[in-house]
Amino acid sequence: MKVKSTHDSNGKWRYIAFLFWLIAMAILAPVTQAAVDPLTMGVFPRRNTTETTRLFTPLAVYLGGRLGREVKLVTSKNSEAFWKDVTEQRYDIVHYNQYQYIRSAKTYKVIAHTQEFGKNTVAGILFVRRDSGITEISQLRGRTVIFGSGKDAMLSYIAPRYLLLQAGLKEGDFKMAFAVNPQNALVALYYKQADAAGGGDVVLDQPVVKNAINTQELRVLASTTPLLFLPWAVKRTMQAKLAQSIQSLLLDLKNSDAGKQVLKSAIMTDMGFAEDRDYDPHRRMTIAVFGPDGIAK
Amino acid sequence: MRLSLGAKFTITVAIILVGTMAANTLYFIGTASRFHEQQLIERGRALGHLISLVSPDAILGFDFLLLNDYTREVSAQRDIVYGVIVNPKGVPLSSYINDADPLIKKQLEAADSKNIPKLLQTLDGQKDLIQLQFPIVHNNEVLGRFLVGISRQSLQSEFHRQLIIQLVVLAALVVFLSAAIHVVFRINVLFPIRKLIAASQDVGRGQYTLVEAKSEDEMGFLARAFNAMTEEVQREAAKLHRQANFDALTGLPNRMMALDRIRLEISRAKRSNQRFGVFFIDLDNFKNVNDSLGHAVGDELLVAIGTRVQAAIRESDIVARLGGDEFVVLAPDIASDVKAEELAERLIKAVSEPQVLAGRKVVANCSIGIALYPDNGNSTEELMANADNAMYQAKSMRDGSAIFFTAEMNIRLRERMQMEQDLNLALESGQLELNFQPIFEMASQRHCGAEVLLRWHHPERGTISPEIFIPLAEATGQIVAIGDWVLEQACRSWSAWHNAGINPGFLAINVSRVQFRKRLSIRLAELMSKYSIPGEALELEITERVLLDDHSQVAEELSSLRAAGLTLSLDDFGTGYSSLSYLKRFRFDVLKIDRSFITGLPDNADDVLLVKAILAMARGFGIKVVAEGVENHDQLSFLAAQGCNFSQGFLLAKPMNEASYSSFLKNVQAGVEPPRRIASRK
Repeated sequence: MKVKSTHDSNGKWRYIAFLFWLIAMAILAPVTQAAVDPLTMGVFPRRNTTETTRLFTPLAVYLGGRLGREVKLVTSKNSEAFWKDVTEQRYDIVHYNQYQYIRSAKTYKVIAHTQEFGKNTVAGILFVRRDSGITEISQLRGRTVIFGSGKDAMLSYIAPRYLLLQAGLKEGDFKMAFAVNPQNALVALYYKQADAAGGGDVVLDQPVVKNAINTQELRVLASTTPLLFLPWAVKRTMQAKLAQSIQSLLLDLKNSDAGKQVLKSAIMTDMGFAEDRDYDPHRRMTIAVFGPDGIAK
Repeated sequence: MRLSLGAKFTITVAIILVGTMAANTLYFIGTASRFHEQQLIERGRALGHLISLVSPDAILGFDFLLLNDYTREVSAQRDIVYGVIVNPKGVPLSSYINDADPLIKKQLEAADSKNIPKLLQTLDGQKDLIQLQFPIVHNNEVLGRFLVGISRQSLQSEFHRQLIIQLVVLAALVVFLSAAIHVVFRINVLFPIRKLIAASQDVGRGQYTLVEAKSEDEMGFLARAFNAMTEEVQREAAKLHRQANFDALTGLPNRMMALDRIRLEISRAKRSNQRFGVFFIDLDNFKNVNDSLGHAVGDELLVAIGTRVQAAIRESDIVARLGGDEFVVLAPDIASDVKAEELAERLIKAVSEPQVLAGRKVVANCSIGIALYPDNGNSTEELMANADNAMYQAKSMRDGSAIFFTAEMNIRLRERMQMEQDLNLALESGQLELNFQPIFEMASQRHCGAEVLLRWHHPERGTISPEIFIPLAEATGQIVAIGDWVLEQACRSWSAWHNAGINPGFLAINVSRVQFRKRLSIRLAELMSKYSIPGEALELEITERVLLDDHSQVAEELSSLRAAGLTLSLDDFGTGYSSLSYLKRFRFDVLKIDRSFITGLPDNADDVLLVKAILAMARGFGIKVVAEGVENHDQLSFLAAQGCNFSQGFLLAKPMNEASYSSFLKNVQAGVEPPRRIASRK
């Protein structure tokens, strides 16, 4: 005769509970996973890695603290590396320039834009030296125009190129030079290394530029219409709620002391709302400069 | 400014130290400066090469801000005045200028501060700036140049700082080392030298101090040599003192010491109001001893006399040999004349003690002149002169006598000195005059010649007898000039008479011992030639004193005179240093008996005997005899009876001057006087 023990009853329930737990884990795993994995925030190499880290780590910490989830700041050594990460959608949150956004619009959704020095738009400018005698863009034919960073620079290359195109100067009608960044382009112009320099209108007022040169010796030759400033985007695959949370946090920065500190640290004055169509003017310029595919060659 | 040896040495050492250390310091500082400058240049090069290395990317990438960072970092380095990166055309791409640098500041004030190339141009060649430049090359393409200016300010500041420090250290070292060396020099050299100096000064003062000579170095050798020298000097000084103050023969104090002692005694006696006596001792006939027994015996006699006199005096008395045969005894504390007499008697006795010398018994006598202080003088010279005077007085009396100096002697002394002075003038002023006393042949009473006598007609004192002034002239040497004058005057007179046709006979001229020493024969030959006088016209009367001199010289002179035809007459025979051996040794033609032997004739038996003896002796030798001082007929008769050849005296004729004698001669020639002819007297 088989005697049923208490031990046998308990084990059965434990087994059931364990199964139940497994099922629950299976169901909840993605959520949990999602809740545990840090968000990656990429910032384009507008500045060097060290500075980028210094400027934006507070924001990452801020977001992480508010989201209850770690936000990891990821920097890139150069534009190529950054773009690769963008195209691979490595970033959950990304801050880059307008051209980069336009190119990644399919995979990233803009949620905010940067405001710097109280401005959220910036025009693309062609600068010349006051003593250069250049008063028309057309006078730049055969001369050297220096652009800040590379061909993916919205304000330092695309916008000024647009101005040149508008004046009838195509690639080849002038010599091109690229500085490592827009500030250096202006400095190069100051030191007569070029006849004109392209950059955003804010560059001339930047302290680093003012400290390096006498900006009074430069003047604006031509300017585009103001363009919305640098976008903040999230992966389109991000949960809407999360995306929204992130957007709110960014837009709300100025409303708290901590947020203000974060803005200050990032050398921003505010973040404003942005959506895709806000960057249509940028798209038009890009197409005009690069062609229908809008890709720099 | 006189510097001591120590000061000179210290200064010399200090100068050497300063020179050496200054050279070392300058070399050190110079080397340090060069090293520092080299370091600056190397630092500049390191920076320059670094910038050249890191700049290409920034230049190619137009990263001027990075270039600015580079230049700023470079320029932030100490001593960097500027850092400029220029492109190949010299256009600055990045620059950093240290506005605070004084050199830059000055240039900026003068130049356009914004014009970097112009600024660099003005800085070019500044001696306070090291300017370097480095090419920035990428793939063999020169992208630009890095210009860096390094200030020498710190270098100069450091140089000045080091210079000051080194100078302070140098000064401290020089002071310390100089002081240390000076101390060592002082101890090891100066102190010993000062001791030597002090000892040398002591030696100069007659104190023969020896210095300590312990060390075995040069100073020790010097000290030992000094000591040896001092001891030798001391010995020599003692020797010299001995030689200077003591007589070499007798060992007695000499004249110098005697005079010095008298001076001291005068001071002492003056203080203590005492008398002392100076006894001047002169040996009588010492020359005889020397001549007969030799100088060695004479010296022996002097030594013996010195010893005996020393034994005869009191312990407080001093005997000294003045020289020759003269001694002096200084006798302090002579209470009375009696004491002086007693001492004088002891001295005479001591001197006259018989002494056996060269196997012969010798007895010496002395004459002593005594002068007492303060009676007979207050000074050394006075006492000595008066004692000497008294001694001469004693000598003229008899052998072995002592005479006290008297006031009369002093008067006589003064008179003698006055006479000596007057005699000097007498010859020049024509006070001297020749007198002539005729001499007659005894048998025929005919005039045959005259003795030439000298008279002095003193303008104040009248006629002075030759017995007074001739001895004085002989003592003073004036006799030479006077005697020569007499000779010449006599020859002149004879010649004048002869030339006048008068027969003067012969002239007998007295010559002195002093004239004899002056080669009388030569002078007479001159005069005889000058006045054309034959030898037989002159007779020389020579006293026995002449014969006391060098016999060989006397004999030679007499021989010369004889050869000249002169008649030689021995005057005052029997009164002086008569020695019958002289008659044998020296050939004389005539003897003149002194008047002292004639005066007592014919009654004085002694004089009779003596005259007879003389006449007999003279006859035996074939010598003619002249009797002097015949004053009466008895004398004349006696002498004639005894065979005396010639006579002279007041009885026959008194001395007369030249004029009177001329008249006399004329009378003789005229027959008023018995006719005369020159009798051969040989």
